[in-house]
Amino acid sequence: MSAVAAKPTAGSAMNPTAMAVGVVLLLILLGIAYYVYPAGLIPLLLIIVGGVLIGFGVHFVPVGGAPAAMGQAPGIATGVAMLAAGGGLAGLFGGAWAAAAGQDALVVVITGGIGGGLMMAITCMMVNFVYVFGMGIPAASGKVAKDPITGDTQAEYKSQGTEGHGLPFISFVGGVIGGLFAGAGGTLIYLELLNVYQAALPAVMGITAAQVMPIAVSAAGMFAVGLFLVNAVLTAYNITGTIEGPHDPKFKRWPRSVVASAVASALCGLVAILIVAM
Amino acid sequence: MEHIVFGIGITALTGALATVAGSAEDTESNIGSQGDPNSQVQLAPQMGFLHRIFNKAVAGEPPAYGLWCALGAGLAWAFMAMQFNAVLAIVLGSVLAVFVQGVYATTAYVGRTASLSKFGQPVYVDILKSMTTVTMAHAFIAIFATVAICQLINGALGHPFPLPLLGLIWGIALGAAGSATGNPYYGKERQYQNQKFGAGVPISASGNIVRYAEAGERNSLDNGWFTAKIGGSASGICFGLIVFLELWRTVLFEQVAAGWGAIVVGVLMILVFTVVDRYIEVWARKNYGPYSEIKEASS
Amino acid sequence: MTVKVEVIEGGIPHNKIMIAGIVSTLVCLYLTYLNVLTSTEMFSFFGGLAVVAALLWGSHTIKVLCSYGIGTGVPSAGMIAFGSGVIAMLLATKFGILAPIVAAVLAAVIGFILGYVSNNILNMKIPTMVQSLTEMAVVGALTLMGFAALMTGGFTFAGLTTGHVTSLGMVLLTHQQSFLGGCLIAVAFLLGAIAIQHPFNACLGPGWKQDRMLMLTAECGFLSMLVAAVMSFALISTGSAIISLVIAIIGWAYTYKEYMVMSKRDAAAWLDAKPIPDVEGH
Repeated sequence: MSAVAAKPTAGSAMNPTAMAVGVVLLLILLGIAYYVYPAGLIPLLLIIVGGVLIGFGVHFVPVGGAPAAMGQAPGIATGVAMLAAGGGLAGLFGGAWAAAAGQDALVVVITGGIGGGLMMAITCMMVNFVYVFGMGIPAASGKVAKDPITGDTQAEYKSQGTEGHGLPFISFVGGVIGGLFAGAGGTLIYLELLNVYQAALPAVMGITAAQVMPIAVSAAGMFAVGLFLVNAVLTAYNITGTIEGPHDPKFKRWPRSVVASAVASALCGLVAILIVAM
Repeated sequence: MEHIVFGIGITALTGALATVAGSAEDTESNIGSQGDPNSQVQLAPQMGFLHRIFNKAVAGEPPAYGLWCALGAGLAWAFMAMQFNAVLAIVLGSVLAVFVQGVYATTAYVGRTASLSKFGQPVYVDILKSMTTVTMAHAFIAIFATVAICQLINGALGHPFPLPLLGLIWGIALGAAGSATGNPYYGKERQYQNQKFGAGVPISASGNIVRYAEAGERNSLDNGWFTAKIGGSASGICFGLIVFLELWRTVLFEQVAAGWGAIVVGVLMILVFTVVDRYIEVWARKNYGPYSEIKEASS
Repeated sequence: MTVKVEVIEGGIPHNKIMIAGIVSTLVCLYLTYLNVLTSTEMFSFFGGLAVVAALLWGSHTIKVLCSYGIGTGVPSAGMIAFGSGVIAMLLATKFGILAPIVAAVLAAVIGFILGYVSNNILNMKIPTMVQSLTEMAVVGALTLMGFAALMTGGFTFAGLTTGHVTSLGMVLLTHQQSFLGGCLIAVAFLLGAIAIQHPFNACLGPGWKQDRMLMLTAECGFLSMLVAAVMSFALISTGSAIISLVIAIIGWAYTYKEYMVMSKRDAAAWLDAKPIPDVEGH
């Protein structure tokens, strides 16, 4: 995975007209859902919330890309979409299990979030472990003079010629929060689609509720993965590949991503729900 | 009670399998040179540093391992649907998945190197012949272990997701964990072994990877040996902890307080890891000391 | 810090490839409908050929999009293509014989909106973004439909959700052993997502050649068809699966050999156990 040559940068500018068009599009999609399949309106709203959680959460995850693999930039040396997918899917796994055990919706979503957060916590801790004990390099941020949470000064722990390295504490916390939101968002999408399918597919397909379970679980799971990837890639586009964590100036671009994720999730969620409406 | 004991036993087995899978995955991706560190292997010829490293440009590790594991799981599912024995099905599925992985590896190496012909980087057929089978062997271990984990989770622990979907999920998680932990070790320590230890690589040194090694010209097999020293084990522990702790807290605490038990245990675990991480960070600052005086903010 | 991509030109223009791609994919998908007309499953292999055709088109679209430097790397494009395509494809299967066309139209709408969102709300401002994301969503949906047709013999919702299980000599209908019930769609999803981005990713560089990349695309397509044909043994009759498998093996062997020949043609040198050549000053 390599980033390709520089292009004229889009920058962090917001485009108010486009954001307004996005909001209008969102309302149109909600209207279509209400008109064609009223029982699907609340699930669609919750799917949008899930998608926004994913899109917003991925902004917290510290990703350094190719320079991080050389110790030239802080963050985790993997692509942002797939690292977030790894955390979020681990969360989805846990959430789906809780749903199958019959827990109520709030518990299921929070379980999914904790699953994602736990995966990111372990991964971020091991990243620092390898940097410190395997490579002898302390963590340092290139974007702030002092860590916002611990107050540690960063500049003198940054080696010469680099932008920083490792995972300063704020990046670690960012990674965990990102995993929490992404896991919760993915699980929420899965849960809503599962409920819609379990309720409506037996009538549509002419079979019993028990027989429809494998289909409903697989379809909801697959769509959750698909929506997850779409939202994660849109966020990756928003931050243009790398971000140090919540303290990075790029983090301020999150409003664009919220609108983008909302529109994308509404669209894909509507199509997913229409499977039982048509 | 027996149900929980059985669950704990399976959890322990999956934890062990996950550790093996994680270390095999990291070793494989370093022998094949995949993911973000590979950008240096691709950059080197453009800066005039020709090399004999295997340049496996097959996406990053998470999507690639997502595919191999989902494929292995899907094939195993199909074989089991044809009434094959479960272990045989998983082995056959992993073999076919590894075949696909090997083909992708060879086409990636040949393709990228042929496109760098302008800089004079040759395609080394002997590298192709010797690395491919080694990287396939490590991938087989990783894929087999991961598909076995998925089968245990689905069959023995009763997770609702079918085998291929579990393969996708754990394949991507495996790639993400192994890539996050192992990439900097390979990228900085091994490829830039000639730079000073204990500091990141300065931007001016980009592309100047090590090409002449301990004895003769470096090739990717040496990287496998190097990875096994700490990178592979660290990745293994990372993925093993992820799988084990996720399953352990669910199996033991799912029924406690209508699911809130597992949540509370999960939060406690996150806090423990936060404390450990903070300790590591402070230990480094105290024992390694700063690079320069605190007053100057030199970059 | 990474491979520089200069403007890569040459070869067949993209629009020609796009039209050829969409026509041949739809034709191959409809040829699988012969299964319904002849009450067999022998024509399932056309689903695999549809996959190859769609991938040929899609990999060229990725080349067009990623040549502009989107900043995140090539595999993400494949993921967003298939993420949006899978949802469009499943809804389209409910429309019976019109499924491929509905999939194409629906995916185009989704892709268009995603392209607009990326270009304008996320301010990426890449000239071909909207068209490329539209095309890629269509490619994603049609590729998945091709895989579904290859593995189950058809592209209707009923066909994807029912399968057969032989128990005590009787053949029973089941929903668990089906394309959707067993979630083989997840495997098809990743097979396609990696196969669509691999050709451009692997041939990236100043020496990019269109014919080499397209040959690699065909090779990836036939390789995916090979493993999908193996998985189809569980869902369709053995004879039909063997036909798909044999065609895939022949296709793969031919395209792989040709790709190696082309790479040898394009490489700076094709050495066997030789040392690193000396370059001035290094």
